Amino acid sequence: MRRTLVLVVTLAGLASACGRYAVRPNEKEFLADPVMTFDGDPQEAAADDHVLTNREGAAGGNGAGGGGCGCN
Amino acid sequence: MQLTERQRGQLWGPRVTPRSVALALSAVGLLGAVGGAAADDGVDVNTTWYQEQRQGGQGGLTVIHPQFDAAVDVGEHTNLSLGYAADAVTGATAAVYAVDAVSTATTFSDVRHVGSLGLGFAGRRATLGFSGSVGVERDYLSLSAGGNAAIDLPGKNTNFAISYSHARDQACDKANAELQPLERRALTGADPCAKDYGVFGKDTLDATMLVMTTWRDLTIDTAQATVTQNLSPTMVLQASLFGQVLEGFQSNPYRRVRVGPNEPQEHIPDTRARVALSVRLNRWLPKLRAAVHVSGRAYSDSWGVNSGTVELAYSQYVGSSLLLRLRARAYQQTAATFFKDAFFYETESTAGSYFTGDRELSPVRNAVVGGKLTLLSVAEDDKKVWGLFDRVDWNLKADVFLLDELPADDEAANLGGRATQFLSSDQLLDAFELQLGLRTAW
Repeated sequence: MRRTLVLVVTLAGLASACGRYAVRPNEKEFLADPVMTFDGDPQEAAADDHVLTNREGAAGGNGAGGGGCGCN
Repeated sequence: MQLTERQRGQLWGPRVTPRSVALALSAVGLLGAVGGAAADDGVDVNTTWYQEQRQGGQGGLTVIHPQFDAAVDVGEHTNLSLGYAADAVTGATAAVYAVDAVSTATTFSDVRHVGSLGLGFAGRRATLGFSGSVGVERDYLSLSAGGNAAIDLPGKNTNFAISYSHARDQACDKANAELQPLERRALTGADPCAKDYGVFGKDTLDATMLVMTTWRDLTIDTAQATVTQNLSPTMVLQASLFGQVLEGFQSNPYRRVRVGPNEPQEHIPDTRARVALSVRLNRWLPKLRAAVHVSGRAYSDSWGVNSGTVELAYSQYVGSSLLLRLRARAYQQTAATFFKDAFFYETESTAGSYFTGDRELSPVRNAVVGGKLTLLSVAEDDKKVWGLFDRVDWNLKADVFLLDELPADDEAANLGGRATQFLSSDQLLDAFELQLGLRTAW
C-alpha cells in the first residue's frame, strides 16, 4: 500500500511538472497519429483481454482508450 | 449445440470468474469507446481464432470469437453504438483436479452470446458515456451497466477519465444448499438449467418437486481512474488505477477436486477484491515513422494472487498503406493462498475450508510474442474508399503463447508430480491466436 501511494504521488508530480512544458496544438502532429493512441483498436483490445483473463488470474488495469493529441 | 460430458477442470472461459470479469471489462472498454463520441463513426468486424494444446488424446481447445460493433453520430455531440460478440468453444476438459487429471479428460462444446448498447455525449473538452450489456449461454447469465466520464484540462495535454460498471451474474449450479463443502456435488452437462423467457435462471424441479438445479448470484463492481499526459510532442504517458469487488458464487460448478477419498465440487471464497496499477508509455520516432510502446502492470487481490506484467511493442509504417506492429509480453503470478498442487489435496486435506483446481489460481508464467499487419486505406480529395468510407483498415494479427506452470508447494515432497494435474500441454508453446479484422469509418 505504501509503495502504491509513493508511486501515485510520484506520477502525479511528474504529470504536474509536465504541465509546465505543455505541448502546443501545432506540435501535436505525431501525438495525433493512430499508433500513439492507447487501445486504438477496441475490438482487438477486448479480444486480447478475453484471451488473457482466461489464462491468468489477474484482470483489469489496462487503462482507458484514447489519449495522444487531446483532440476530443 | 452439443453438450457432452461437461465437468470442467479447466477450459476457455472457466465458469463464473474469468468470464464475468471479461464481461465487466468489456463493459468498461465499451464505455471507453463510447466516451469518445466525437470519434469517427463506422462499423468494425473482427474474428479471433484461439487454439490451445491439450494432453490426454482428446484434442485441443478451440475458440472462435466473432465481434461486430457499429457506432453512429446522432447530431454534433451524441453517439450511439451497438455491439455483438460470441464465443464458440469446443475442446477437452478435465473432470477432476487430481494428480492424474488427464485420464479424466472429456470433451465439451458451448456457445455464448453477448449484446451491448452504448450512448455517448461529447463536448469541447469532456465526454460522458453510458452502456449496458447482456451475455447469455445455457448455464450462465450476465447483465452489466456502467458509465464513464473524461475531461481534458486546459491546453488538452492532460486527460482525466473515470469509469464504473456494475454486473449482476447468475450461474447454474447443482442444488447443494444443505450440504457441507466436502459433500457438494458438481454440476454435469446432463443437468438441466431452466430459464424464464429463455434468459433468466430459475430452479429446476424433479418429479417429486425437489430442487435439482438452481442459479447462484454474483455481483461485480468495477471502477477505474486514468490520467493521460502528453509529455512532449513525441511522447504520451498513461497511468491507471483499477479496482474490482466480486461478491457471490465464483466456483466452477462443473469442477471437482480430489480431496482425500472424496471428489466434491470446487469450493472457493465468495468475496474477491482486486486492485491493479498500470503505466503505459508511447514514444514516436519521427525519423523512422515508428513508435515504441512500453507498459507495466502490478496486480494484487484478496485471494493472495499477486502478479506483474511488462510489455514492449514496436509499430512501423511501411510506405503509405502498411503498418507493422511487433510485441512481446511477459506475465508472472503467485498462487492463491488456498491453491495446492493436486497431490497435497489428495494426501493432506483442504487449505482451510477451500479447495480449487483452477489453473488461473496456480503460480504460472505466461509469455506472448506476436505481430500485427494493418493495410490502411484513407479517403483522398473527397474520393471515398469504396465510395463510402473515410477510412478502411484490414488487420491481420498472430500471437503465440508460452506457458510455464510453477510448483505451488514443496516440489521435493510432491511424490505424485505435477505433470498431469492440468490438461495443459507439456510443450512450452502452449497456444496461438489469429485475428482478422476490418475497421471502417465514414
